[in-house]
Amino acid sequence: MTSKIEKEDLSRRNFVFGSIAAAGLTVAPGVMLYQTANARDLSKPVSSKVRWGMLIDTTKDVDWNKCVEACVKEHGLGNEEHSRADQRTQYIRVVDVKNKTTGYSMSLPVMCQHCEKPPCVDVCPTGASMKREDGIVLVDRHRCIGCRYCMMACPYKARSFVHETLTDQKTTTPRGKGCVESCNMCVNRVDNGQLPACVEVSEGAIVFGDLNDPESDISRLLAKHGGKQIRADLKLNPGVQYQGI
Amino acid sequence: MWLQLNINFSFSSLLKGSLQKLPLSVAGLALMASFTTVNAEVEQDELGPRIEIPDSSGKSCVLPEDEIRRKHPDMLKHDRILTLREGVRAKADGNNLDGSLKQCINCHAIKDDNDQYVRIDNDKHFCVSCHKYAAVTIDCFQCHRDIPEGSSNFHALSGHKNTDFSSVTPGSYGLTVKDMANIAPEVSSDDK
Ligand code: SF4
Ligand code: SF4
Repeated sequence: MTSKIEKEDLSRRNFVFGSIAAAGLTVAPGVMLYQTANARDLSKPVSSKVRWGMLIDTTKDVDWNKCVEACVKEHGLGNEEHSRADQRTQYIRVVDVKNKTTGYSMSLPVMCQHCEKPPCVDVCPTGASMKREDGIVLVDRHRCIGCRYCMMACPYKARSFVHETLTDQKTTTPRGKGCVESCNMCVNRVDNGQLPACVEVSEGAIVFGDLNDPESDISRLLAKHGGKQIRADLKLNPGVQYQGI
Repeated sequence: MWLQLNINFSFSSLLKGSLQKLPLSVAGLALMASFTTVNAEVEQDELGPRIEIPDSSGKSCVLPEDEIRRKHPDMLKHDRILTLREGVRAKADGNNLDGSLKQCINCHAIKDDNDQYVRIDNDKHFCVSCHKYAAVTIDCFQCHRDIPEGSSNFHALSGHKNTDFSSVTPGSYGLTVKDMANIAPEVSSDDK
């Protein structure tokens, strides 16, 4: 199953970076658990007081494919039978980049960046592509008509389209033919007070937490070492930030 | 009489009383039948196929039977907005019962003679059995899972709580037999 969703190189998804800096900052291993969601009253809607984000330290020597595998397993991806490899769903992929002048190369995991001002939501004609109050961007498949505007609008190529009838979906991730989908920051786990699947297997290289809470691990790390957004020039203010890119 | 939707009744017994209490479709059928078979015992054949709805064995749902029959589409619609879009994850009864489709499936999944859960292509599937009879076409299961998944999240009254998932045939689930054995039935799971 996992072999279907493998390391992607730059050519396939034609990834564009503003700049790639070689200078890496090492972050102390983050504490894996977070507190806020546990305290949330599950009978109330999520609130914009919280904004979930992830900080990915690309300087850590981590096999990012483990994150891809964890994501595939968590959401039951890779069960397409007829689709071509480049049609199959990817919530997260590993992008290899190389600076041609210096020869420096690196890999980084890229998933939906959970933009604060998501173009995928702006263009959606039905309101299916949506941002939850707590900053998680996802597709409401009940409303998705499969027009794929959001796939074109997303500068990160984060979205996939399901081309065929699926069976054996995971209970926690209903997904099916004719709908667009993307990383949902493991909303099913986050609401349960668990960490996203890729974060859990990342050996501390991905820190998940509340960007609005200055006391959270992610905010403290960002305050201390800073973080970089991919294509920050687009001013979408992604909730997923990087170190070492 | 949860789910004992027995339409093999006699016309005369209808007249004696409980017409109002019967589900509308059944009452309508009975009335139609009455034009042709007055005062005669209505044969099953004349009423069309019999719905075989599994016995609930006295377990109770999130709402009383007559309400859940009418309101479940609205409840699910409500849930898909509340839960998906707003992030409300509370249980329907404030305790154990979840008003989600997942919960419906966890309680009402049906097994065939080989002890395998039947899927939506099978007329015995709980949702399909009624919807097919009433000519309702739903597409929930194009995306949603139609059978339970190894989980400790079964409602206490569900007959599947103590299912031994280690004997499940590979391929009938998204998870491997080993996964299932590790998860079910009592310990924490992916969707605890
Ligand atoms: S990364 Fe793409 S899919 Fe994710 S929120 Fe931004 S525009 Fe939408
Ligand atoms: S947060 Fe969840 S859905 Fe998103 S990439 Fe990580 S594992 Fe996949």
